[in-house]
Amino acid sequence: MNKTAINYKDIFYPPGGILMWIIIFLELITFGMALVAFVYYGAEEAEVFHQSKLLLNPTIGAINTIFLLTSGLFVANAIHFYKEGNTKKTTLFFKLAMLGGLLFLLLKSFEYYTKITHGITLDTNTFFSFYWMLTGFHIIHVLIGLVLLFITERNISKNKAALEDVEATAAFWHMCDIIWLLLFPVIYLIF
Amino acid sequence: MKKQLTLIYGIVLLLTVATAILSKFSIHKIAVVSILVLSGIKFLLVAFHFMELKKANVFWKATLSIFLVLLIGIIALII
Repeated sequence: MNKTAINYKDIFYPPGGILMWIIIFLELITFGMALVAFVYYGAEEAEVFHQSKLLLNPTIGAINTIFLLTSGLFVANAIHFYKEGNTKKTTLFFKLAMLGGLLFLLLKSFEYYTKITHGITLDTNTFFSFYWMLTGFHIIHVLIGLVLLFITERNISKNKAALEDVEATAAFWHMCDIIWLLLFPVIYLIF
Repeated sequence: MKKQLTLIYGIVLLLTVATAILSKFSIHKIAVVSILVLSGIKFLLVAFHFMELKKANVFWKATLSIFLVLLIGIIALII
């Protein structure tokens, strides 16, 4: 197990690695541009967006926010335990983080199910086109994050994970978290 | 569980509750801007503490902060 100290103050070594941070910025810019487009159309079709927002359940969105934040807390703790060499607690917190991600997906699936059974699909209106695309694209990231968490947890328990890889996985998982922190208020709350 | 991380988590949860309450008044622009600002604070708390960006070079901190300010600013201007 490589736990060699990394000088994070070096511009080329942010926590998680420079390549992961380039990915994070590209993702943030992509989601950011989509959110700006969403809000732009929201200003053009204010009544449609307001009525559509009323069809969403903000409580589900808020609970999903809590699931992702709690999962993020577990991953942040896991990194600390990993640096202290506590493999047992690191893997435990990774498993708890995965549970948070799975609960997020479960609740999101329930939300999608209720929308589909009410006939709300991608072509219902502009609001719901953005809703399905933005949340669907985010779910793909959560799924990829879960796969990374699973593989990293396996590697840690087999004692063959490098600190850089563990931190990169954590950074990706937190990225899912911060993207959701932008999506939730814009889609569920402001219109 | 690390104390500081738990404290940050508590603050972020409180801010989530605050944004949910503010959303009841989302007909007013000031409430919408407040929701966006509180969400921006949550974003930065997670990035700086959970993602450990506070340990990174100032370039990464500044770039992420500028991105967030620009995004929230543009959204607030359009709405």
